[in-house]
Amino acid sequence: MSQHKSINHLQNGETATIVGYGSDEIPIKIYEMGLLPGVTLTKKQQLPFNGPVYLRIEDNPNAIALRKSEADLILIESLVKA
Amino acid sequence: MTEIKIALVGNPNVGKSTVFNRLTGLRQKVGNYPGITVEKKTGSFAHQQTRYHVIDLPGAYGIHPSSLDEEIVYDVLIDKTNPNHPELVVVIGDPFNLKRAVFLYQQIREMGLPAIFVVNMIDEAERSGTSIDVNKLEKALATKVVLTDARSGKGIDQLKAALAFKPNGYAPSFMIPEEFTAATQYVKERTGPSNEYIAWLYLSQKQNKHLDDSQAQEVANARQHHGLNYHRLQIQEALARHASLEKQLAGVVKDPAKKKQYVTERADSVLTHPFWGYVIFFALLLLIFQAIYTWSGPFMDAIDSAFAWLASSTAAWLPAGPINGLITDGIITGIGGIVIFIPQIAILFIFISLMEESGYMSRVVYLMDRWLRPFGLSGKSAVPLMSGAACAIPAVMSARTIENDKERLITILVTPFMTCSARLPIYIVIIGLVIPHEKVVGLDLQGLVLFGMYALGIIAALGSAWVLKQLMKSKYKSYLILEMPTYKYPVVRNVLLNVWDKTKGFVLGAGKIILAISIILWVLGSFGVSERFINAEEIVQTEKPGLSGEAFENEVQSQKLEYSFLGTMGRFIEPVIEPLGYDWKMGIGLISSFAAREVFVSTMATVYSLGGTDDELTIRERMAAEMNPNTGKPAYNFASGISLLLFYAFAMQCMSTIAIVRKETNSWKWTFIQLAFMTGIAYIAALVAYQLLK
Repeated sequence: MSQHKSINHLQNGETATIVGYGSDEIPIKIYEMGLLPGVTLTKKQQLPFNGPVYLRIEDNPNAIALRKSEADLILIESLVKA
Repeated sequence: MTEIKIALVGNPNVGKSTVFNRLTGLRQKVGNYPGITVEKKTGSFAHQQTRYHVIDLPGAYGIHPSSLDEEIVYDVLIDKTNPNHPELVVVIGDPFNLKRAVFLYQQIREMGLPAIFVVNMIDEAERSGTSIDVNKLEKALATKVVLTDARSGKGIDQLKAALAFKPNGYAPSFMIPEEFTAATQYVKERTGPSNEYIAWLYLSQKQNKHLDDSQAQEVANARQHHGLNYHRLQIQEALARHASLEKQLAGVVKDPAKKKQYVTERADSVLTHPFWGYVIFFALLLLIFQAIYTWSGPFMDAIDSAFAWLASSTAAWLPAGPINGLITDGIITGIGGIVIFIPQIAILFIFISLMEESGYMSRVVYLMDRWLRPFGLSGKSAVPLMSGAACAIPAVMSARTIENDKERLITILVTPFMTCSARLPIYIVIIGLVIPHEKVVGLDLQGLVLFGMYALGIIAALGSAWVLKQLMKSKYKSYLILEMPTYKYPVVRNVLLNVWDKTKGFVLGAGKIILAISIILWVLGSFGVSERFINAEEIVQTEKPGLSGEAFENEVQSQKLEYSFLGTMGRFIEPVIEPLGYDWKMGIGLISSFAAREVFVSTMATVYSLGGTDDELTIRERMAAEMNPNTGKPAYNFASGISLLLFYAFAMQCMSTIAIVRKETNSWKWTFIQLAFMTGIAYIAALVAYQLLK
C-alpha cells in the first residue's frame, strides 16, 4: 500500500476522500467541523506563500479554510484528477 | 406566572442570534459573565402564562471548548448551581450541517439536560431543494423538532409553543468504551456526578471549573492512574459519535438529485481570490475609513455645537461660581467629548456588523492569516485590529474568539497601538499647529501626516507583536480551522441591535470615566493651598498693575491654575517631560490624558484659561500663541509637536482599556507590562524626536 497523501498534495479543483489522520494530536475542531474519514472534499484554491487552503465539503454550502500545517494532518485518497 | 430559564445553544453560523432576537425582541440585555468579559446576552418573553428567561450561549461545535467563549457553554450547562443553568436547552442547527448540531444535541442530552431541537434557515434549504423529514428526526432525537426561518420569523410561534414540551425517553448514543469504565466509575464514586457520561466529561475536559479542589484532584488522580489524556478521550468520543450519526440520521435530510453551484462559491472565486481578494478587501477598508471621516463630519459638528450651546446656556442660567464651572467646563464639556465619538463608532460598527452578518468577516480571517502569522498573530486577530481603529475596548473584547492563548494575548497587548478615534482630535489639533498647510506632490501635507500616524499605529502594533512573539512561549499549537458560511443578506434588525449595544457600551463605559476625571480635574484645578493661589487677585494686581477687565481675569485664572493642586502636579512632573519639549501646562494635559487621551484638548483648554474646547479655532489660536517658559519658543513648535504626536501614538493612556485588558487577560502582570511597554516606547520616541529636531 502506498503512502497516503495529505490535503496539501491536492491541486486546485481536485476532489478526494479523507482516509485518516497523520497524527493523534490533532485539534478536536477538525472532527467537530466534520472533516471525518469517508468525507469527500474539493480543494478550491490556496492563498500565495503557502497560505491557507480553501476547501469545500460535499453537500455542504459552507466552506472550510485550513492552514498548511493542519492540511498536512488530514490524509486523503484522491478521486478525480483536475 | 411560571418562570422558566432556557438556553440557546448551537454551532456558529446557524443564525442562533437571529432566533434569539426574534424570541426576545428588544427585551434583551448584554452583560458579562462573572469574572470574564465574554458577552452574555439575556432576554425574556411571555408565552401562555409562562415567562421564559432566555440566555444566548456562545456558538460552539461541541461540548469540548477550543476557545474562551466556548468554555462558557460547558461551564453553564454542567454546573447546576450556575445562576445561568437552564431548565430547558434549545439546540439550534442548520439543514446543511445537521450532523454537527445533532452531535452537540446528544452531548447535552447525555449530560442529563432536557432539550428540544430547532432546524433554522429552512428557507435557504428549500431554495436549494433540500428537505427535512421532521418525523424521522423527532424519532431519532427523542424530542420535539421545530423548523424555523428566523430571518423571516417563520416557525418562531411554533418554537414558543414547543418550549412547553417535556422531553423524555432519550437513550444515550455514546457508550463509554469498556476500557474506560473503571476510570469513570472511580470519578463517579468520588465526585458524585449523576451519570456515567458526566464522569466521562470530567475526565475529557481540560478544565472543570465547577469542581472544588479535592474533586478536581480526584479527577486528576483517575486520569493519572489510568494513563488517560483528555484530548485523546475527546477524539475518541467525536469519532464514536460520528460513526453512529450516519445511521441514526439516515433518511432525515433529502438532498436534491441535481446539484446547483452555490452563489457563495461563485462569489468566493473573486472575494477570496489570491490577488483580487486582497484588492477588494483593501478597497473596502479604504471605503470604511473614508465613510468614518466624511459621513460622521456633519453629525460631529452638530453634536459639538449642541454641547457648546448647552454649556454656554447652562453657564448663563446657573449662578456664577465654582459649581457653574464644574457643571459647564467639567461635566457638560466632558460628556460632550465622549458623545462626539458616537457617529464614528456607530459607523465603524455598522460596517463591522455588516461584514459579520454577511459572512465576509470569516473571509477576512482567511485572507489575513498568512500575513499576520509571522507577527505571532492569527487571521482572527484582523477583527480586533480593525475594530481598534474605532476604540480599543470592544476590540480587545473581540479577541476572545482566538483559540490559541499566545495569539490571543499578543492581540490584546498590541491592539491599543491602533489609532483609535480618541487620538484623532489630538492629532488634528497638533498637526494643524505644527505642520505647514502645503501641498507635496499634489497631496495635502497635513493629510499625509495624519495618514502617517495611522500607518505608525499599525507598524507599532505589528512590530511589538513580533517582539512579543519572540519572548513568549505557548503551551498550545496554533491552528486555523475556519468555517466560512454562505453569504447572506444582513438582517437589518441584527445589525442595528449590535450597533446599539456596542455604542451604548462604549458611551456608558467611557462616559463614567470621563465624568469622574472631569470632576477630579476640576477639583484639583480649582483648589489650592499656596499663597499665590489664595491671594491670586492681589498678587496679579501688584505685579501687573496695567491689566484690567478680561485680560486681568485671564491672568488671575492662569496664576490660580499654576498654583492649584493640578498645577503643582504639572510642575512636579516637569523635569521628566522637559527633555521631550513640554512645559508644566502640557504636563497637566499628559497627566489627565492617562485617564483617557481624548481629554487632552479639553484639559489644555481649561489650562489655557479658556474654559472650553468648543470653539476649536480659539483653542488652536491660543495654543499657537502659547510660549514655553523654559525654552522661550512657542510651546507647540515643530519639534515639540512631533514629540507630542509620537507620545500620543504610543502611550497607553486610557483607563478603560487598562481595565478591560486586566479583565480579559486576567493578569495584572500583563496589564502592567503593556502599560510600561507602551509608555516606555512613547517616552523614548518622543525624547529622540525632540532632541533631534529641536
